[in-house]
Amino acid sequence: MIADWSHEVVLAATILSLFIIGAGLAQTTIYLLQLVVAGYALSERPPVARSALLWQRYGDVAPPIALLVPAYNEALNVVESVHSMLALEYPNFEVVVINDGSKDETLQRLVDAFKLVKFQRPFEEALAHQPIRGLYSSPMTERLFVVDKENGGKADAQNAGINVCRAPLFCVIDGDSILEPDALMRAAQPFIDDPERTIAVGGTIRIANGSKIEAGRVREIHLPRRLLPLFQVVEYLRAFLMARLAWSSINTLMLVSGAFGMFRRAEVVAVGGFTKGSMGEDLDLVIKLHRHMRDKKRKYRIQFIPEPVCWTEAPESLSVLARQRSRWQRGALECFFRYRNMLFNPRYGRVGFLGFGHILIVDVLGPVAEVMGYILIPAFWLLGILSAEYLLAFTALIFTYGVCVSVCSLILEEAELQRFPRARDLAVLTAAAVIENFGYRQLNNFWRVKGWWQYLRGNQGWGEMTRTGLGAAKK
Amino acid sequence: MWYIWDLSILLSALSLVIMLVLIARRLLQERWARAAADQRRQLLTALIAFTENRDREALKATVLAVPAGVAIDAGFEFISLLRGEERDDVLVAFNECGLPARVARQLRKGNVAERIHAAEMLAALGWEDASASLLAALTQDRSREVRIAAAIALCDLGSLPLLGTALDFIGVAGQRSRRLIELFRRFPRSRFNELAVHASRVDASPFIRAAAIDALAHAGGFGFADFFAGLTGDAAPEVVAAALRALGLTGHAEAPAILKRAMANDDWDVRAAAAESAGRLGLPELAAPLSRLMDDEVWTVRYAAANALRSFGQPGERLLREIASAEVSRSQRTASLILAEGPVL
Repeated sequence: MIADWSHEVVLAATILSLFIIGAGLAQTTIYLLQLVVAGYALSERPPVARSALLWQRYGDVAPPIALLVPAYNEALNVVESVHSMLALEYPNFEVVVINDGSKDETLQRLVDAFKLVKFQRPFEEALAHQPIRGLYSSPMTERLFVVDKENGGKADAQNAGINVCRAPLFCVIDGDSILEPDALMRAAQPFIDDPERTIAVGGTIRIANGSKIEAGRVREIHLPRRLLPLFQVVEYLRAFLMARLAWSSINTLMLVSGAFGMFRRAEVVAVGGFTKGSMGEDLDLVIKLHRHMRDKKRKYRIQFIPEPVCWTEAPESLSVLARQRSRWQRGALECFFRYRNMLFNPRYGRVGFLGFGHILIVDVLGPVAEVMGYILIPAFWLLGILSAEYLLAFTALIFTYGVCVSVCSLILEEAELQRFPRARDLAVLTAAAVIENFGYRQLNNFWRVKGWWQYLRGNQGWGEMTRTGLGAAKK
Repeated sequence: MWYIWDLSILLSALSLVIMLVLIARRLLQERWARAAADQRRQLLTALIAFTENRDREALKATVLAVPAGVAIDAGFEFISLLRGEERDDVLVAFNECGLPARVARQLRKGNVAERIHAAEMLAALGWEDASASLLAALTQDRSREVRIAAAIALCDLGSLPLLGTALDFIGVAGQRSRRLIELFRRFPRSRFNELAVHASRVDASPFIRAAAIDALAHAGGFGFADFFAGLTGDAAPEVVAAALRALGLTGHAEAPAILKRAMANDDWDVRAAAAESAGRLGLPELAAPLSRLMDDEVWTVRYAAANALRSFGQPGERLLREIASAEVSRSQRTASLILAEGPVL
């Protein structure tokens, strides 16, 4: 049948297929290498099981930390979240809640719950942000500060928090997330072990849907009951335990999640803080830090450590998840093109080659090539332009290697960390790791291509993120 | 192309088989964990009973009846709650059961986290061979975190080798850790001179020298004031800043002159430390240079200077008010902010 088509058509189809398969092969190779590196890194640095030991060991030398919590229309959960943050186990920290011009009662709820009074606190206007309407402190606890400012978005609120805070380190966290009690102590560990070089540390984000939550704490860990968040559990495992750990161990980590990351204030101020209006402000900040430190020829470390955990609520509906994924894609593209001169630039060493190379293959080319493959390769085969081996190679890259990578991430988790409490959970997750490659992965890539399209059209909207609230709906 | 397919099938099948093995292992572990929890409860009950009846034989029988891992973990947790004679008696029982030898084995054979914990436990278990085991860890362990833990444990046991030697064993990379601050703070008074020697070593890292100065300032007291004064002329700004902060704690006859000189230093950390110490020592004669520092380009320095002036009491506040009511400038803004600090009435 191949002979029926003109040589040019066959040649064009073959080249296109080879490009698609090549992109998939590059992606798969990166994932498999990440698995090996992450496995080695985990075995070299096994976690400390008991947090009491950490307190004994690091309590006296732990540096002060400011916990920055931007809050926009968080009236539903803000008081409970702040209570849980104030109860964190760390010797020296303050919680700075930044009310980013909420339209609901976020500020009033805080004022009522913590008897807040207006307070003057001198601070450096190191970063630009929307005007601050007032600072508040609480007579109930000297650890809490509230900044009330005009709306300017998450990055703007975080910049205001960075200005107001006094600690040399700050930790950013989403207002609706829950930190494990020992998360700060664990995340601060690299800043204790290597204080001169460590400038940023990211921890693990885990999905709390389905878990039992009481008084702002995750009391019992359960898997989500719905399929969509369950797939996201596997996805997060892959992203954090495999990708970030691997890149971190070779100091090429390009992303410290905005939902939970710890930074050295001086360096963040030096790069101008979070970029306002950015779709991926967390990725943007880390790239700026890499660029700054390499331009200044300073030795530095940006690390990911898996032990500190921040719980978050995953979207449970397709429409919300679609918006989130398209936004993430736009964020990645925006950062890639904004800092494109770093790509394969020898001045930026492994960050330019590996870090940016990874974004190019996985975020820029990956989704487009994969979606093209879903349509073109079966079509070419059905039309008789390509032989079955192309179809099989593409199927292998999408489905069977996909299963292998997802299951291997789970193997890493179980072999080294064992954070899922029951054997049954592992069995369910293994099934999810297999099934997610048949439908969910394709859907995700479709949303990412949609993100590409929105980026090209200059769509900068965040979209509505509907949440049920961690403390409210899932007890 | 066929290779891609074949390899993918092989790898996926292999990963699924490994995962199934891990699930089976987890099922067994769940059973073992339940047994371990029972044994732990049993041992803790025996330990509580021992603190009441001091029946060492009964305690030893229970310790020997549970797995060593459970005994070590629960035992160490328990003794950290005890003090004095009670603790000594429990330690004797543990020693007679051979627990410290097990911990020493963990120090040699465990993973990094276990080895660090073993070093901490050995320091607390009062075992006669603990120093030898810890010394071996300090000199031979491949992880710098374990070597630092061993050094801290040896310091607690009073068996740390000469500081220079110990730091050589810890290695250059380990000498950047804030854990060394912990080590220095535990240093016995009789060996403070070693800290002083290290603080003055120009070839040592400024971070470590500053940590040594800090430890001496907090525990050594006025006896080291001259030493700190001498270090304020050092080439490393980090060391100078630490020496100035130390002077702020101990005081010195030459402090006003030294601090005034330091306020004109090129490094902002040194200027901030000088302002901070001037405030701590309450030296109103430095009001003029401090008010000049309030126009410094670095906020931290301006803030430290304004705070220092405020700590002088009424004369300082008067000066701040004068600056605040003057023409708009950096100093004026800093003074206004400092004066306004506090609840809004």
